Amino acid sequence: MSVALRASFPAPAPFPASFPVPRGVVTALAAAGPVAVGGILAARAHDASPMLAAPAIVFGVVAATGPALYIATAAAGHAPPLSAVVRAFGTAIGAFGIALAGLILPAAFVALSSVSDGAALGAATGAIGGAGLLGLRRLAIELTAGAPGAQSALASRLVFLAWAAATVAIAGRLWWDLAVEVMS
Amino acid sequence: MIADAVLGSMPEAAPAEPVTPAAPRVLGPVSPLQMIELLLRDRAAMLARIHHGADLPAILRTMVATIAVTMAIAGAALGSYRGGAQIAFAAIKLPIVMLGTAALSAPALWAIGAALGRASRLAADLALVMASLAFGALLLVACTPLVMLGRSIDLPYHDMILVMVAMFAIAGIAALRMIIGGVAQEAASGWRTAVAGLCVVFSLVGGQLSWALRPYLVRPRTPEVPFVREVEGSLYDSIAGDVQSARGIYTRDRAPLGGARGTERGAERGAEQGAERGAERGAE
Repeated sequence: MSVALRASFPAPAPFPASFPVPRGVVTALAAAGPVAVGGILAARAHDASPMLAAPAIVFGVVAATGPALYIATAAAGHAPPLSAVVRAFGTAIGAFGIALAGLILPAAFVALSSVSDGAALGAATGAIGGAGLLGLRRLAIELTAGAPGAQSALASRLVFLAWAAATVAIAGRLWWDLAVEVMS
Repeated sequence: MIADAVLGSMPEAAPAEPVTPAAPRVLGPVSPLQMIELLLRDRAAMLARIHHGADLPAILRTMVATIAVTMAIAGAALGSYRGGAQIAFAAIKLPIVMLGTAALSAPALWAIGAALGRASRLAADLALVMASLAFGALLLVACTPLVMLGRSIDLPYHDMILVMVAMFAIAGIAALRMIIGGVAQEAASGWRTAVAGLCVVFSLVGGQLSWALRPYLVRPRTPEVPFVREVEGSLYDSIAGDVQSARGIYTRDRAPLGGARGTERGAERGAEQGAERGAERGAE
């Protein structure tokens, strides 16, 4: 019975080792990146709240919408195993953190060397938005690799696109509201 | 020769065969001068050295020094159009712009590529970007006699601006081509996105840093030149302001036009000055 149980519930996949840096560094980058982007807005607005709000938006929105992706793809009949989906999300968040690590310095430079609030907001938004899109692309790659049949399934592609659009829209709206509030 | 360097003798950008183990000539230790010669004569071998991680710290040191020296020469040449202190000012500022932009932007190539599954090392990517920029900077130095020629035949200021833009375009295209060639050799997933991301980040940071440290090319009749101009916001603020002005929306109390002086001559002179200043700012 225990063997059957183990067979139907595969062990959780380890944190992705598909990055050229140790996983501890990937975790730290993913955690610290949104805080740093929030710090750009905080430095401009002299208000520390974006440093907490930015990671809350990123991880909160992913946590809130992530299950919907699994449910919808499963309902469409092309869902990868749950462990593969969890691993894909872990990899995508790691990719988000690494990409943000590369974009944060240029964004900080552009923001801090500009006089206007608009340039600072644009730089911070570009960095976190660009990293987010790269994370979404990595998620799509990982999900496709986790379920080879899904690559050709139009339904699963449409589900992913709809989910990604909704996730970006929700996070974008929250980010915009945050920026308007702290900059005003 | 420059056209050959820009357009020819480089591997195709399309994913090629993985770099084969190179001959000892390619991977063995070489002096800085030999490394620069390798960069000019055999960029495929230089890319192989970087790909194999052969003596990356030495490559980085040599390329940083090459960029610093060559950009200083190019800056001095640009400054010679006005002469005097501007020669030294531009010779100091141009290496800062190039190296500062590279330091801020190069990690983006690695980070974006790594996020998409490209297995590469940060040091190798830094070396690739620096080697490519050094190659572009060497081509820029090869073009500097054009600046001196322009000065010697009293080429008008705006024509000199166009010459400068062409020189930097040649150097930039050559550097970009070398980066694409280097990254494409790996045939790794996400390399196109990584290169595109690097281009975007490099353009934004380079534009802002060069804007902050302007001027470089100054009219010969300019009486005094500052090391850097007063902080007037960012390049993007200026572009946004110009777009608003083009739509007839002005935020300043007075435009740099002479109409307020009340005389027709003043208005004409002011309009000329305003147009010249706008063109100069846009070109710089």
